[in-house]
Amino acid sequence: MKIFDPHVHMTSRTTDDYEAMAAGGIVAIVEPAFWLGQPRTMAGSFVDYFNSLIGWERFRASQFGIRHFCTIGLNPKEANNARLAAEVLALLPRYLNKEGVVAIGEIGFDDQTDAEEATFTKQLELAREFNLPVLIHTPHRDKKRGTERSIEVVRKVGFPEERVLVDHNNEETLPIVLASRCWAGHTIYPNTKMDERRMAVLVKKYGADRIIVNSAADWGISDPLKVVKAIAVMREEGIPDATIEQIVWNNPVAFFSQSGRLDVADVEARPAIDRTRKFETNSVLRGEQAR
Amino acid sequence: MSDTKTRFERLVALCAGTDAAAWLAATAGGLGRDGLERLCGAYTAAAVRVGRMPVAPTVAAHPDLAPASPAPTLERWTADDAARAVLLLSAAEAMSSDGFVDAATACYERGDSREQQSWLRALALLPDAGRFLGLAIDACRTNIVPLFEAIACENPYPARFFPERNFNQMVLKALFNSIALARIVGLPSRLNAELSRMAGDYAAERRAAGRTVPADIGMAMHQSTSLQS
Repeated sequence: MKIFDPHVHMTSRTTDDYEAMAAGGIVAIVEPAFWLGQPRTMAGSFVDYFNSLIGWERFRASQFGIRHFCTIGLNPKEANNARLAAEVLALLPRYLNKEGVVAIGEIGFDDQTDAEEATFTKQLELAREFNLPVLIHTPHRDKKRGTERSIEVVRKVGFPEERVLVDHNNEETLPIVLASRCWAGHTIYPNTKMDERRMAVLVKKYGADRIIVNSAADWGISDPLKVVKAIAVMREEGIPDATIEQIVWNNPVAFFSQSGRLDVADVEARPAIDRTRKFETNSVLRGEQAR
Repeated sequence: MSDTKTRFERLVALCAGTDAAAWLAATAGGLGRDGLERLCGAYTAAAVRVGRMPVAPTVAAHPDLAPASPAPTLERWTADDAARAVLLLSAAEAMSSDGFVDAATACYERGDSREQQSWLRALALLPDAGRFLGLAIDACRTNIVPLFEAIACENPYPARFFPERNFNQMVLKALFNSIALARIVGLPSRLNAELSRMAGDYAAERRAAGRTVPADIGMAMHQSTSLQS
């Protein structure tokens, strides 16, 4: 089964991860722009980060047969630094037209402050201007209220709900998202957020319509093979392959193809690995011979 | 001369010895009006010069060395924390108000995790400490648990200065990270209806996920809010 992991922070992961992901059936991924575990102190750090998402990381993925897309945005945590937020928002338009950028994200709420709401709103307006869908991060704390507020902001701006993916859902928030026209993402984590068994229960209860799963693997305790593992558990639980395929392939492809920058036929085929290729004279080979 | 500063200078001398105390006195005395770079450099060097011996045994033997209440409790402080507090208090005396804000902010923003912990622990002792509210709130966003604990636990600053929304978020993050709520100074005086609601929602979310609910979650709720189990 072909797999599309619509949320995985590959800049934090190793080449072993890329190899295991490709072997597990992952053909395409979206890497959302987020924070780095500690606050950045200047806008220049974002320039370099965004450049790596559309540059080196995209190339690195291709060297393991994985198609890499990304989202660009100012995350809610760092939206609280007023000076930084203004500078980063000013940078965004330049990146939103780049190849490989298929949405604005991750945006939304963290502490649910006024500064976060203002930055969230501005980026929804940018998404409309650049004709991109958006990826919404829902907060760890006060999650249910944060999810409700996120959808309220989308409605206040009048942004089309079918172009919104609300991520990191759980049992409490999924009914709220499904009651809207937004798509519902689920992050399968080893200890927090959602796990494979609970996910299977939710799929049995709600079906596959607008349901998406991801690993959100990053620099914390997480696992880039969680979508692969979720498929195995869903099968064990007797969920038909057609339903699973809709969740791990058709839905994310349908959602992100709304950007107009993800060709459905194109993304079906695993990219051929050519390790003689270089990115700005750098390769992943570190002196090895290309195979 | 600030009384707290004198107590901490004696504490450093008792914990870390006379060489360390002499270094601290000379460095703190030489900060001057334009001491931003000197402050940042000395702040880092304190770990090497003064060391990281826990101060608690010395404070137990000399209770008069603890700063006057309301102040952070020193249970988890090390000698470098106390030395860094002396450096900040000396800078506040030597510099203009704006100069001090710039220097103290640089000290925090350029600091490594340990330096930032020292800074947050001493925050409530600084003159006009409310002006550093933005940095204190930002510190709560960290993923580094010891850094979060430095502002959230054994520290009177949040209860005294945080707006309700930020205080509530901090309490919820403590629950999220399995940090005992008893460590949050002044929590009983800051309970509010919104925090009760947030704690209740968190308990419901944990149950829906088949997970345990923190045993002390009731400390975040008004007594009238009963926890259904």
